[in-house]
Amino acid sequence: MADGRPSQMDGETVEHGSEAGTRAVDSASETTSESAAEIDGTDLVVGYSGRDEPVIDGESIAVPPDEVTALIGPNGSGKSTLLKAMADKISPDDGTVFVDGQTIDEFGSKELARKLGLLSQENVVPTGISVGDLVERGRYPHTGFFESPSDEDRAAVDDAIQLAGIENLRDRDVDSLSGGQKQLVWIAMAIAQDTDVLLLDEPTTFLDPQHQLEVMQIVETLRDESQITVVLVLHDIAQAARYADNIVALKDGSMYARGPPEEVVTKQLLADVFEIEAAVLETEYGLQVIPIDPVTDAQAAHTTVGPVPEDVPDTDREP
Amino acid sequence: MAKVFDRLTNLRAGTTDRYEVSKLALIIAGSLAVLLGSTILQVSFGAYPFTLVEAWQTVFDPAVLSSLEVWRWAFLGAAVPEWLTRQQLIVWNLRLPRILVGVLVGANLAVSGALFQIITRNELASPYILGVSDGAGLVVLLTLTLLSGLVPFLPILAAAGGGLAFLLVYAIAWKNGTSPVRLVLAGVVVGTVFGSVQRALFFFIDDLGVAMSAQAWLSGTLMNAGWAEVRIALPFTVLAMALAFAVTQELDVLALGEDRADSLGMPVEKVRFAIAGIGVLSTAAAIAVAGLIGFVGLIVPHMVRNLVGSDSKLLLAGCLFLGPALLVSADVGARLALSPVQLPVGVITGIVGGPYFLYLMRKKTDLGEV
Repeated sequence: MADGRPSQMDGETVEHGSEAGTRAVDSASETTSESAAEIDGTDLVVGYSGRDEPVIDGESIAVPPDEVTALIGPNGSGKSTLLKAMADKISPDDGTVFVDGQTIDEFGSKELARKLGLLSQENVVPTGISVGDLVERGRYPHTGFFESPSDEDRAAVDDAIQLAGIENLRDRDVDSLSGGQKQLVWIAMAIAQDTDVLLLDEPTTFLDPQHQLEVMQIVETLRDESQITVVLVLHDIAQAARYADNIVALKDGSMYARGPPEEVVTKQLLADVFEIEAAVLETEYGLQVIPIDPVTDAQAAHTTVGPVPEDVPDTDREP
Repeated sequence: MAKVFDRLTNLRAGTTDRYEVSKLALIIAGSLAVLLGSTILQVSFGAYPFTLVEAWQTVFDPAVLSSLEVWRWAFLGAAVPEWLTRQQLIVWNLRLPRILVGVLVGANLAVSGALFQIITRNELASPYILGVSDGAGLVVLLTLTLLSGLVPFLPILAAAGGGLAFLLVYAIAWKNGTSPVRLVLAGVVVGTVFGSVQRALFFFIDDLGVAMSAQAWLSGTLMNAGWAEVRIALPFTVLAMALAFAVTQELDVLALGEDRADSLGMPVEKVRFAIAGIGVLSTAAAIAVAGLIGFVGLIVPHMVRNLVGSDSKLLLAGCLFLGPALLVSADVGARLALSPVQLPVGVITGIVGGPYFLYLMRKKTDLGEV
């Protein structure tokens, strides 16, 4: 299981797209290509300049199209780094990222931004900008140099705002919103970008339960109603188990396990990857993970995991 | 149902737009009023005073305004029409071009200030933040002290010096790309060195007149502004303004931070350099005809942003009007307050600018973030 490379989970391509037509304003998703894009990384070696050891050392990932894939792992396991490499934010030292079979470098910058969107953890809010205006900026890759927003752009913005459930905030200044509301606005902006692949870096980490649920339900709706491939980094294992179609567990920059939640989220994995003793319960609300005790180093010594390198940068900001 | 809701939200979105546009209209109307008032004051008073009515009548004299000869003289450098009266000459040859240069300089400084504030993501950035002023200042001093034969070309040389210093700042800041912080720090490096050399050069001036003119350049003045200066500044100003308004969409995206701009498919480095280039062109046009006028490029974008928010189109439009209004009215003070002594207008903008910032510091807690 530790080396799951042969069993890449690109087996089934579920077409959810036929349900999309029921929405009132849907011109945005109609204009995209017929099926959602596939995003693969092969033999990725990713590091940061100034560090000897790469964070990710020779991993491959194939994300099945049209599904939600969650990356989980402890702090410093390289999940954000992997996501950034897939988004072309960090160019890998070795290996290639493919979107729809084309290497990521072959795309023009705006062309890539129409295929692939990334929502980072930290976002800058300019002063005195209304929610509607901010979401509209997500249309940048779709507008030419001298063009003003078209009807299509406006429809995409309306659509994104509706999908994110922030109609009531539309005219508010973004400055004046709470953290959770802001996150919904950023997600609306990413939706307005109308990409085939959407990468979300810890979209729920600093939110209250209500907004966490809202965000995850938006992701679910996106998956069900548009043809979009979603990859997201999550800290909450139970959340990943509930909402993701596939889970990839990372430990020290390697892929420890991948597959559907029922297969991946196990007592053994939680002990090996997260170094916690936990109970995994199957309930009517899906898998529940109940952390019980941290596994100390002495206890962990018998597990299959190799020595933990100390110099992996902690890319996960703690609150 | 959803459609009704959509229409409602559209309607509401429309009203906020109108609200902000109406604030922009207020800025424009106010600026034009200040500009007109300043023009009348500036034209009436001086060594050869007119009544306000006379001033008004001479400025809006249909015989002059409709004369092709006058326009050719003003904008193409043709001979002065001989039929102009003494009064018309004073207004049209001395006082009006100074106002016009003030308008151009004010627009340039305000708009380029807004551009630099966005690309450095720093509300306290001015058009001079990337070394332009220090390069221009150094060249001015070099020309006045060591290369006095080149003094007639001083405006062009100063602008070129500013441009070169900007390129130097960019080269220093570049290391696999730049960042706002690296650019600002490189600006400080270049500014410190150039500023020191420039001050050292002052000790090689033994003629008081040369020292005065160097000081006037460094503080910024419209004292010598005439139609020749209008002709130098106008084409570059028009070009820079057209370019600035062409990139408002890029500015809006860049204001979201480099990361987000990159995710939205913007080639951030190229766009940033291009926008900085537009800003430098605009600043250089202002420096060439008026020297280094401070604070206008810093305060005006600030004031406009406080009123209309940071939507680039509204911001630049506001700057385009408020900049001239502020500079021309400050020049009224510079020219008339201690008459017959004329102060450099940069002194007045500094005196007005300082307290404005004090007010901002007291009022806003999050000063310094765009």
